[in-house]
Amino acid sequence: MGRLINAEFRKILTTKMWWGLMIPTFIVALAMAWGVGALTSDIADDVYREDFIKSAGIGKDSVSFGVIALTRAINISTMFPLIFGALALSSELHRKTITTSFLTASSRPALLSAKAITYVLWGAIYGIVIVLGASLGTLAGSDSDILPEGGQWMLIALMGIVSTVLWTLLGLGVGALMGSPVASVIVLLIYAIIVGPVSEIVLTGFADGKPNIAGALPNGSANGLTGSTAADLIQKQIEELAQGKPISDRAVDTFQAAMRFAAGAPGAFALWASALIFIGWSMLFFVSGLARNQRRDIT
Amino acid sequence: MHDGSGRIVVQNLTKHFGQVGAVQNLSFHVEPGSVTGFLGPNGAGKTTTLRMLLGLVTPTAGWATINGQPFNHLGNPGRVVGAVLEAQGFHPTRSARNHLRVYAAAMGIPDQRCDEVLHLVGLGEAAHRKAGGFSLGMKQRLALATALLGDPQVLVLDEPANGLDPEGIAWLRTFLRSFAGGGRTVLISSHLLAEVEQTIDQVVIISRGQTMYYGMLDDLRKSQQSRVIAQPSDPNKLVGALQEAGLSGATPTQDGKIAIPGVTVQQVGDVAAKAGVALYGVQEERADLEELFFRLTSGQYAAPQNPPQFGQLPPGAHGTPPGGYAAPVQLPQGAQPGGWNPQSGPVPQAPPPPQGYDQHQGYQGGQGGNA
Repeated sequence: MGRLINAEFRKILTTKMWWGLMIPTFIVALAMAWGVGALTSDIADDVYREDFIKSAGIGKDSVSFGVIALTRAINISTMFPLIFGALALSSELHRKTITTSFLTASSRPALLSAKAITYVLWGAIYGIVIVLGASLGTLAGSDSDILPEGGQWMLIALMGIVSTVLWTLLGLGVGALMGSPVASVIVLLIYAIIVGPVSEIVLTGFADGKPNIAGALPNGSANGLTGSTAADLIQKQIEELAQGKPISDRAVDTFQAAMRFAAGAPGAFALWASALIFIGWSMLFFVSGLARNQRRDIT
Repeated sequence: MHDGSGRIVVQNLTKHFGQVGAVQNLSFHVEPGSVTGFLGPNGAGKTTTLRMLLGLVTPTAGWATINGQPFNHLGNPGRVVGAVLEAQGFHPTRSARNHLRVYAAAMGIPDQRCDEVLHLVGLGEAAHRKAGGFSLGMKQRLALATALLGDPQVLVLDEPANGLDPEGIAWLRTFLRSFAGGGRTVLISSHLLAEVEQTIDQVVIISRGQTMYYGMLDDLRKSQQSRVIAQPSDPNKLVGALQEAGLSGATPTQDGKIAIPGVTVQQVGDVAAKAGVALYGVQEERADLEELFFRLTSGQYAAPQNPPQFGQLPPGAHGTPPGGYAAPVQLPQGAQPGGWNPQSGPVPQAPPPPQGYDQHQGYQGGQGGNA
């Protein structure tokens, strides 16, 4: 297995695609976090300038709205590792290098497992790049008052890396199922950029803002990983501001929904539920993609 | 895991793609130390058979083994069998050397072997060039280098001469002879008998997915019969005289001559002189292997015009190739392929590699050729 993983790493490192995709990944994460951070800071400025907020003695540093920049940037940047994963097997099928790969591997399951392990590692590498870009962008674009604390930051970063790994595997599975690099990349991009986000907003609109089917879809659950973490954090800080005054459950729900929407995860479930749902989706595509190639006639 | 024999066995192999029967009940085996030609027209099922042997296509029925094991039980298959297949791909921007390094890693062999095989196939100079810029012939050489990477005991080649220049083909011939001469096994497919005739000992001829002939190439050669083509002043009179002399089977050819099987020029001359028929021309002719091959496989497509010298001969009237699947000529168990002495043990000495495309010259055709 070690030999085959080594071979997979060489396949990746001997062409330009890994850095050709990694550069835009970093730039998009950085720019998105920077922009959203600046925008959030402006809005926060306006809010805290209001007299009633001032009179309540609420300081600008009491709520870490900066997490929104972080999650938004992570969510959009995952489309690059998604493409990277989608090409893993489909380009081998397309270029027919899969023939030699199968001829030099002890078995198909061994080769496909080696690919899976390799792309989990590469997904993590992309995840670190994304988190780095998003963090730098958030730092650069946001008022220092609205930045989250280190621990909270780390939790969102960790969720971002988990989400990137799962997106990579989902891409690998779809590419393996479809067998065509162009078709699988187009289908995945249309879903991740257009169909997913739009359907989630529409579904959430009809669901009256509560967690709903949008959060159970692949894109919705993936965004929930980071978005719900951010929303939880802001929620806790607001509750602290209320200083023990009773807040109705309904108010909590409404606020959560609003924050998840702001963090780019409309209709999402709580962190743990989103994680389980997205792991399910990734595994569904990943396993069926590999199963398809277990039996495929290579002609 | 495997018995190390280098033996290939194909038994009752069958493959249907949907309704289309690509390969039907194919059986043959290839002994170590021999080169076996796997011949048939395009679309006869050669590629599908080789891909089933290599575990790339799942058979509908039957089985194939290398070293007594199906391909996916070989453990580290690249060390046992190397394959050059049609449409075997390369990443266009990956260099030749990096392509080999990928698969060297998969087989667990050191990187220096990549340079060895590149030099062996004459691609030493092109090691750092991208495979996407290679000519067809260079790609074939790179595919062969990949096949040889694991120093395998068995080589399977699907139409390896495609795209090779004449020098490359001559080099490949010499290389395969010496590879098999070291006790290893070679199975090579082609749609042209002439292309591999000088290289192979044994031949499997298939058409429409079925075996048409399986046996030694020499036996196929011996099955040919000679005939005499004569141009008499009076064909009818000569045919009559021949029949009187007990020489039957004469048939007219398209250009007004007559063809008489199984006789000598002298016999025809004597009969014609006795009958008082003038002969304007008389010559002896042997059917070549290509014609036999063509007849064995011509069921697949409508036969194009027969070569003129054979005229209107009904099929089978000339030469007696074993026909059909029912009675293939079987190589006796343990029979040694003729023409050379298999040795066991020593690693085959590769012929000197061609020094690039333009420099090497003077390679002879494979030894044992009859050309």
